[in-house]
Amino acid sequence: MALTAEELCSYSDNVNEQLARYGVKFGIYKNGEFHEQLFPFDVIPRVISHDEFAYLERGLKQRVSALNEFLRDIYSRRRIIADGVVAEEFVYSGSGYLVPCDGVSPPGGIYSHISGIDLVQGRDGSWYVLEDNLRIPSGASYPLIARELCRRTIPDAFTGRALEDNSNYAELLRRTMDHVNTGGHPVILTPGRFNAAYFEHSYLAEQTGARLVTCDDLVVENDRLYFTDYSGRKEQVGAVYRRISDEYLDPVNFCSESLIGVPHIFDIYRKGNVAIINAPGNGAADDKGIYYFVPKMIRYYLHEEPILHNAPTYLPYYEQDMSYVLANFDRLVLKDVAEAGGYGVVFGSKLSHEQKEEFIRMMKAEPRRFIAQEVIDFQDIDIYEDGVRVPRKADLRAFVLMSDEAAVWKCGLTRFSRNPDSFIVNSSQGGGFKDTWVMSE
Amino acid sequence: MAILSLGNSERLFWLGRYSERVFTGIKFLLARPSWNGSCFDENNSESVHFSLMRAYDNAIVLRDEIGSDTFSYVQLAVYEMKNASRSRTPLVGLQKVNDNIAAFWGMADDSISDEHVRGIIKLGKRVERVDLYARNNADSEDIRREIHRLIYRIAKTGLHYDGARLSALNALAGGESINRPEVVREVESLINFSGT
Repeated sequence: MALTAEELCSYSDNVNEQLARYGVKFGIYKNGEFHEQLFPFDVIPRVISHDEFAYLERGLKQRVSALNEFLRDIYSRRRIIADGVVAEEFVYSGSGYLVPCDGVSPPGGIYSHISGIDLVQGRDGSWYVLEDNLRIPSGASYPLIARELCRRTIPDAFTGRALEDNSNYAELLRRTMDHVNTGGHPVILTPGRFNAAYFEHSYLAEQTGARLVTCDDLVVENDRLYFTDYSGRKEQVGAVYRRISDEYLDPVNFCSESLIGVPHIFDIYRKGNVAIINAPGNGAADDKGIYYFVPKMIRYYLHEEPILHNAPTYLPYYEQDMSYVLANFDRLVLKDVAEAGGYGVVFGSKLSHEQKEEFIRMMKAEPRRFIAQEVIDFQDIDIYEDGVRVPRKADLRAFVLMSDEAAVWKCGLTRFSRNPDSFIVNSSQGGGFKDTWVMSE
Repeated sequence: MAILSLGNSERLFWLGRYSERVFTGIKFLLARPSWNGSCFDENNSESVHFSLMRAYDNAIVLRDEIGSDTFSYVQLAVYEMKNASRSRTPLVGLQKVNDNIAAFWGMADDSISDEHVRGIIKLGKRVERVDLYARNNADSEDIRREIHRLIYRIAKTGLHYDGARLSALNALAGGESINRPEVVREVESLINFSGT
């Protein structure tokens, strides 16, 4: 018989012990020192009904398809700019746009192979997209292993529940890598153990059967990428799921000071001799400023109305929006487009008079740098804390994997704030995570 | 045979060595009546805690080679080491560390399908055991037995080794009395990763 939420909570320590046993951690730098921390797991899952997820699935596929079209377009014909749908300044002045990617067509024509779309659900039940992550979205490994360990620890919690199995993430990811593989082994390229998401890198390598490598293991020779084994034998690599950001990927083509990249990997990528997952240059499409234009992209490329909604967003870059932001400053949330991980987020109502004046001065000086959004009063989700259930803010990162077709993983990373007064759910700022149960009927 | 990087082959070897250093180190501690708690000093390179953390450092970057289940026993050993350091019965706590090291070896043997990956961990363990036994004046017969086990193991790893040193070790094991410093010298130089 299925357990009640209260009964489920009584197993919280047991599940967290299992997660500790398997080293389910993330890294964080404090005062210049690296620390490994367990990622706090809350045993009460977020539950999404079959119909509701079917709606999300349609909307996510639509959104990611449009974003892929956008990337293809801005690195080739630039129709969307010529037609005046997206302002040029928002594409080419952002740090995510990479000039060397101009005219490069990635293997299989796919740019965002793995997309992490952050959503929240308002109190009225409506879902809003808060952010698109098309570079190296992380987090899928946590609910993946948590589900397995919960099933082991509390099998009764799953009895009699029509629940979608989430254990296929590794299969979806491997299919995504294989689909664009240009011939050779698939690898996961990690910056190394002292990366915040190292657990994820190593766990996904184990689960997919792809080799976990660092830059020292790879070499470009004769326009091909090779992995050198311990006997000196070279094996060709055809797909690189890189967990290194664009600027550090190739010291010859990008940041020359990078010690974690592979020299010339971008050159052979440009020639179509290796797949890089996700494609370099995707930052041009997941910039917080570009987010504003995604519904327009959907209409432009797909000739469809957007299924999922953005949070109401304003660009101070536009005069009309600047006026609105100034008039409504205290009830808006302002975001620095260059920041991530919950940083650079400011609630107008929480600023002192002086801070507000200073912020407005900055915004007027660099209007392209900020967006403003209505604060979505998103639904609280219960967590179990110190023996009682308490409501906390939570979001959902949904994962869309693109191979021969787009597939939405029937799960997702639900992150919650442990601070009752905070909307910030990021693990780097003390947030925890939950499993996401998608019902199968 | 899986493809294995030079870096990972070295890490597997040192995972074997450090896990053995913990295991035999604790075995010695359990066999001796004196006790001052220095084994828990994580910054002392002579302590079992230090050795365990180095085993962990290697294991954590080898999850894809050894698997999460095998890795978990090293992680559990780390937790037990911390528990032991706070325990009223620290030696009993250390016994639990060794339970997990033994389980780690068992799981590695049982669940790692690639024989080279398995073999390199075991080789590290054998090298370390010969070294520790020779340094700590273990019984000659024990040292001989461990040298023979090392010789049996080494060819199965695919690693390059110094054949002359292996022959010398074999000769040392066959001698009437064991020259322990010689054994240490030969075994320490047997594997050279920079030369592979």
